[in-house]
Amino acid sequence: MKKFLAILLAALMVLSVAALAEEQITLQLWSIATESDSSHQAYVDAIAAFEADHPNIKIEHNATENEAYKTKIKAAMSSGEDLPDIFFTWGMGFLKDFVDAGRVVCLDDYYPAYADELPQAMATNVTYDGKMYGVPYTMSLVTLYANMDLLAQVGYDHIPTTYEEMQACCEALKAADIIPFGVSGKELWCLSEYVEPLVIKSVGGDALKAMYNGEESWNNEAVVAAIAAFQEMVEKEYFDPSAASLGNDEVKNNFIAGKYAFYQNGSWNNADIGSKAEFAVQAGTFPTLNAELSPYQMIGGPNNTLAVTESCEHKEEAIEAAFYLARFFSDADYKSGANLPCWAADPDAEVSDLVKSAADMAAKAESMVLFGDNFLSADAANTYLDYIGQAYAMDITPEEYVEGLDADLH
Amino acid sequence: MSQKRNTYRAPDVKPPLTAGRVAVYVILVLWALISIFPVYWMLTFSLKNNAEIFGENVIGLPKYWVWENYTRALNTGNMPRYFMNSVIVAVATILITLAASVMATYAITRLQWKGAKSMNKFFMLGLTIPIHASIVPLYTTLARLKMLNSYFALIIPYSAFSLAMGILISIGFMGDIPYDLDEAAFLDGCGVWGTFGRVIAPLMMPAVATVGIYTFLQCWNELMFANTFISKDSLKTLPVGVQALSGQYTTDWGPIGAALSLATVPTLLVYVFLSKQIQDSFIAGAVKG
Amino acid sequence: MSKRPFSYKLNIFVFLLPALILFVGVLIAPIILSGYYSLTEWNGLKTPVFIGLENYRELFTSKSINIMRALKNAMLLALLSTFIQLPFALWLALKLSKKPRGERVFLSVYFMPVLISTVVIGQLWLKIYNPDYGVLNLLLRSLGLGNLAPVKGWLGDKKTALWAAFVPILWQYVGYHMLLMYAGIKGVPPELNEAAMLDGCTEGQVNRYIIIPYIRPILRVSVIFAVTGSLKSFDLIYVLTNGGPNHATEVPSTLMINLLFLRNRYGMGSAIAVMLIILCFVFAVLINAVFKEEKGR
Repeated sequence: MKKFLAILLAALMVLSVAALAEEQITLQLWSIATESDSSHQAYVDAIAAFEADHPNIKIEHNATENEAYKTKIKAAMSSGEDLPDIFFTWGMGFLKDFVDAGRVVCLDDYYPAYADELPQAMATNVTYDGKMYGVPYTMSLVTLYANMDLLAQVGYDHIPTTYEEMQACCEALKAADIIPFGVSGKELWCLSEYVEPLVIKSVGGDALKAMYNGEESWNNEAVVAAIAAFQEMVEKEYFDPSAASLGNDEVKNNFIAGKYAFYQNGSWNNADIGSKAEFAVQAGTFPTLNAELSPYQMIGGPNNTLAVTESCEHKEEAIEAAFYLARFFSDADYKSGANLPCWAADPDAEVSDLVKSAADMAAKAESMVLFGDNFLSADAANTYLDYIGQAYAMDITPEEYVEGLDADLH
Repeated sequence: MSQKRNTYRAPDVKPPLTAGRVAVYVILVLWALISIFPVYWMLTFSLKNNAEIFGENVIGLPKYWVWENYTRALNTGNMPRYFMNSVIVAVATILITLAASVMATYAITRLQWKGAKSMNKFFMLGLTIPIHASIVPLYTTLARLKMLNSYFALIIPYSAFSLAMGILISIGFMGDIPYDLDEAAFLDGCGVWGTFGRVIAPLMMPAVATVGIYTFLQCWNELMFANTFISKDSLKTLPVGVQALSGQYTTDWGPIGAALSLATVPTLLVYVFLSKQIQDSFIAGAVKG
Repeated sequence: MSKRPFSYKLNIFVFLLPALILFVGVLIAPIILSGYYSLTEWNGLKTPVFIGLENYRELFTSKSINIMRALKNAMLLALLSTFIQLPFALWLALKLSKKPRGERVFLSVYFMPVLISTVVIGQLWLKIYNPDYGVLNLLLRSLGLGNLAPVKGWLGDKKTALWAAFVPILWQYVGYHMLLMYAGIKGVPPELNEAAMLDGCTEGQVNRYIIIPYIRPILRVSVIFAVTGSLKSFDLIYVLTNGGPNHATEVPSTLMINLLFLRNRYGMGSAIAVMLIILCFVFAVLINAVFKEEKGR
């Protein structure tokens, strides 16, 4: 009897230990990958794969629309309560506020295990004071999408390679009643997708970075020239005249419907435009303003990132999940054409021509500077975008633009 | 207002048909058209394809009824769920607002005490407070109480913000109830609660409708709190869902129209059935005032 | 009723309790907190740093915030609301109270826009104003007035955006005020009307000397609601323009949300909140005083 009891007790202990080991962990993941987002499927697949590999971990994914997400994550970070374990974030300015507040886990101890697959250079935008706080998964570049059918109508079989040729091309398009550029004047960041390439192709990447960092003055002839060129495009009506009342989605859909010859926006549009456009489409980059600079001064960089909160209960698991998911997204988004990978890509992957051009531009890039509104802190970023909006509305001269940025940004 | 009385007012029954009256009538009809047009337009374009919406047939009835717009709208988001959530939040908010405001009004107007007037003024402060002014402190507090992502995260703030108007309306109505009734009730041996429950509360029914409508409008339409305090999809309310859906079909207007219609038609149906009651309650209250 | 036993006071307290808890917990306490935040530099994450009235100084001097433009826009809306929307609502109410054919239908139709969610109304008007396919431009084109429509779109052109954004706001709430006033007019004892009519008063005179003075309390509520509502206006402008183009349609609330959630300036956003509360309060008191004074005369 005693023996039997002992065996029973032992069995119970074994069972309870087993039960402990099998304890279910649930990780909360917040992202912007709503059902309409091109990364949504990647999220679903990645979570399923991770859960299959880790039967005791469940990931609860909660997606919020882009703009609402910013409000939500900031409010949650501000109160420090009800935070997710893993969250989507943009690099530089956006994540920095959370890092400064001590809400984000430093990943330095965990990164080396993944260093082979995730090059250190990809982590620059999530590294603060030499410490890494996020796992980047995809990078984006400002891309000039061209409707080659419309260009052919005015006698062009390639995207213009010099600024003069671009101007001539726009004039020819206008003469043929084709709107050269589609842009949303309602969403200021879309205007910056035109202004920033002009600026970087006029001053170069290092100088632009220094200006964002406040180490160099904006009051520089090359910046003035770039803004003047932008305003010339506005004045000559190279942009859709109703741009001011259109949102970016409408503009993108107009481009896909064949309304514009060009649409300049982030490379995250590769999948959408590639799959929906019923005309020949090419991806390229805007010609350089400064003949001494190569046109491969690119705006963009590693940006989409996962990070882990300091308040997270199961840190080890959450960090492992963050790296796992990031690697998965990088691969999935690359293959689907949604974006360019930060992680070493599968060299045999079949990808679309648009993705190939984008990857080619990334490889050729002589400098790469992140989008200004991501680079700068939230307050400065909005001031900066305001100035771009005013330049677009012709409310200020290029001189007032550079003086204003010098006075108000830092 | 009985028919009988009208017979004594001959001029009102058969007004002479003058140019002025015709002009007035034309304006009334015009304004009715302007009021109803966006809804009519929404309902019709929710059943059209883009070719019709964008030029062929902008304001006519649809030629081909594209019910597919509705299936697409229903399949994209979680519209039925959002609608239920909005109903739950609205009903709970109305009940809480009603109970709190009628009780407070009773204390302010019927029970005699020194601070009654100042208390009234204190509550009236609520009329002037913009709902968005308290979003940050509210969020922090709700988070600490672990109440984010629950119906309460909306019900409680909505009730609080409807309270001032609830009290203002109730005071107007309660002022019309003769004090003799209270005294009679007291003499009959009713206590404070008895008087409130048996005499005042039943007579406050018109106010209940008015306050209810006001509260309903407040919380049914609210976007900012709903967007910030609720992140779980299963708890989202209609405005949030509709706004998100509109962002997804920017050039395909049919499904947007369908989503907007789905959000609107049930309210309008209720209104069609209850409009007489809703308006009568306004009128009944005002007649006494 | 002269004795005031303890239980009586307790009853008062119990009757007030639910309202007080809601009111103090959800409105007053957060506002006191907002008041404190408005005196700090705070990005919502780090500890707030007390900086006194610096936010208010910056608020009223900063060119990039430009609070005066937002206030001017809100005041314009308040004026339009008080002097165009309300008189029109009153006119409708007066005419409807004369029992024209289809009185009930008119009443129901006029009130209908109030019931529709602001998001729906905003989305619908966005489509009405759409420069390419909007009904407004189609209408103008069919009347041969196509060149009246701004190329940038009604909501995209600085010159028209503000008016275009205000029209739906004014349109939506005409019915609300109309119904309130209509209810008031229905409450005027018919004897008063009849007596005046028998004395030979015209319809206009009856309206002027009997009905309007009689419904003064409702008019007061309408005016307060219109003015404070204008100062606080947010939802429709947020959906239609979000303050754009280039801040042309900025009102204090959109500016506040922008500062809070886009710029992480919780201190400055709270300062606008506090300013709004004070403004709404001052206007409510002023309007009350105006109505009281007129009554005294």
